[in-house]
Amino acid sequence: MIIVQLIHNTLSIEGPLVIAEVPRALEEIERRLQAFKGKELDVDLSGVERIDSAGVSLLDEVTVRAAHRSITLRIRHVPKHAREALKIFSSRGRMEPTGPKRDTFFVRLGEGVVNMGRASLDFLYLIADTAYFSIVGLVNKRGLRKGEFVNQSVLIGMNALPIVALISFLIGFILALQSAAQLRQFGAAIYVADLIGIAMTREMGPIMTAIVVSGRSGSAIASEIATMVVTEENDALKSMALHPVRYVLVPKIYAITVTMPLLTTLSVIIGILGAMVISITYLGIGPKPFFEELRTVLYLRDVLTGLAKSFIFAWIIALVGAYYGFRVRGGSEGVGRVTTASVVASIFWVILADSLMGLIFYFGQGVEY
Amino acid sequence: MATEIVKVTNLTAGFTPEQEVLKRVSFTANEGEVTVILGASGCGKTTLLKHLIRLYEPRTGSIRIFDQEITGMDEPEFNTLLRKIGVLFQNGALLNSVSVEENVAIPLEQHTKLSVDLIKRLVHVKLRLVELEHALHLLPSELSGGMRKRAALARAIALDPPLLFCDEPSAGLDPTTTAALDYLMLKLRDELGMTMVIVTHVVPSILRIADKAIFMDKGQVLFSGTLEECRSTGIEKIDRFFAEG
Repeated sequence: MIIVQLIHNTLSIEGPLVIAEVPRALEEIERRLQAFKGKELDVDLSGVERIDSAGVSLLDEVTVRAAHRSITLRIRHVPKHAREALKIFSSRGRMEPTGPKRDTFFVRLGEGVVNMGRASLDFLYLIADTAYFSIVGLVNKRGLRKGEFVNQSVLIGMNALPIVALISFLIGFILALQSAAQLRQFGAAIYVADLIGIAMTREMGPIMTAIVVSGRSGSAIASEIATMVVTEENDALKSMALHPVRYVLVPKIYAITVTMPLLTTLSVIIGILGAMVISITYLGIGPKPFFEELRTVLYLRDVLTGLAKSFIFAWIIALVGAYYGFRVRGGSEGVGRVTTASVVASIFWVILADSLMGLIFYFGQGVEY
Repeated sequence: MATEIVKVTNLTAGFTPEQEVLKRVSFTANEGEVTVILGASGCGKTTLLKHLIRLYEPRTGSIRIFDQEITGMDEPEFNTLLRKIGVLFQNGALLNSVSVEENVAIPLEQHTKLSVDLIKRLVHVKLRLVELEHALHLLPSELSGGMRKRAALARAIALDPPLLFCDEPSAGLDPTTTAALDYLMLKLRDELGMTMVIVTHVVPSILRIADKAIFMDKGQVLFSGTLEECRSTGIEKIDRFFAEG
């Protein structure tokens, strides 16, 4: 057991100065340093039985702490067995361990603005490259990955079908249930068809599909590209004179552009069917009056609005996923980080775009709701 | 006089303004020779190699490949030049989502107008050359480290490039597999007349394959010459490298 004593100007340490004893020793020494009023203090190590790297680091740390209190520390009577350890492990006179450099608020703010500017510029470059290669790829298939359009359509579209269908059904079902209870009080139960029809077609269908696809495919795009960057597959493509955007991203853009509107259409239909279940079972309104009411309120422009949104959401999901994938830093940890960030970002941008488009369609077309 | 395939002159590079990773690096690689860039880990070997294929842009200096200056060259022109260069990356860098056969076929599909049948035949030839024809339909994740390197080598030589860059081909391989890969590369040099620039720090490998050695230390070329000259320079760092490697 370690014993620390302060007698006049001498701090004597006795016992094994090893890693298990260091926390208590530091506490004891700190207490004695606080009580010490002098300017010079000798540390007597003659009683130290053993010392390891933690013990040596403790002595270095104590020296620094003493210096902060304007106390000069002198190590005395170092036993023979401890000399070698002091020589190997001591960091005194070398670089003192320091924490990360703390920049001032304004430096950090400035760096943040510059980084944001760079990130925006990178995103614009990615949009430009993607737009260019997507258009060029329609006429010149060279540089595109063969069979990838079908693969990606299956991954993004087909495989998302069950979850999109289930979520849409439940959304339609629950929206109808909630609104039916209110509408019934006014004898306006039939308007459930109007409400769900418009909500699913213009808003809920596109946005719920986009959120599901963001979580499934946006994250998959980000993690696939990030893994390719980390494992040098991206560099390998460049060394084969292949542009990664063209080879990897463009087929995904084609696939998501085709599958998102289809998924959205399916989502709308199934959401309305979910509402119809409530209409039949809870409100006693049969399929015929339900669809007749729906037909009177739903116009082509509603369907087109939903489809227009689905295209925009599709590009947001693919571009945001790819952007995060390409800017990955670090190894597998970085891949996980960008994947999570891409999902959060794409959902945010999808909702923001939805709000903007909602405003544009509302004020731009003078739509009567 | 031997034809210079790669000529690097006073190349300086860094990732941040304060940092200089490569300091006035100059060397040449001659036709049909195996030039090995060697040195301890972190001395800038891989960074130098990545500059040679323009994955990084240098600050100053000149890089001439096949007598064409690649710094500042426009992208389509450089892409044409890249078709004469094969690159073997440290971990193989095979596309993980497709089979070995499809990986090797990528350069052929993208840069030639060969029929599907002919591409298939060529892929088989390359895989036979690296003794991997049995792994045709396997995914990269199903291959061992050595097999992955050989598959990546097959992809790198798919277009019969006259110049091959290799980044640490023996990294992570056992001595027997390393030796097999070295002999394979020598076979490629002899049979296909390839010029090779190989980055490595594995001494037995260097002794087997190097015609010419470029010794790097802290971003600088400490020595450039034949392997025999390199081993007898008397420079302590180089002597220690060979003695302890």
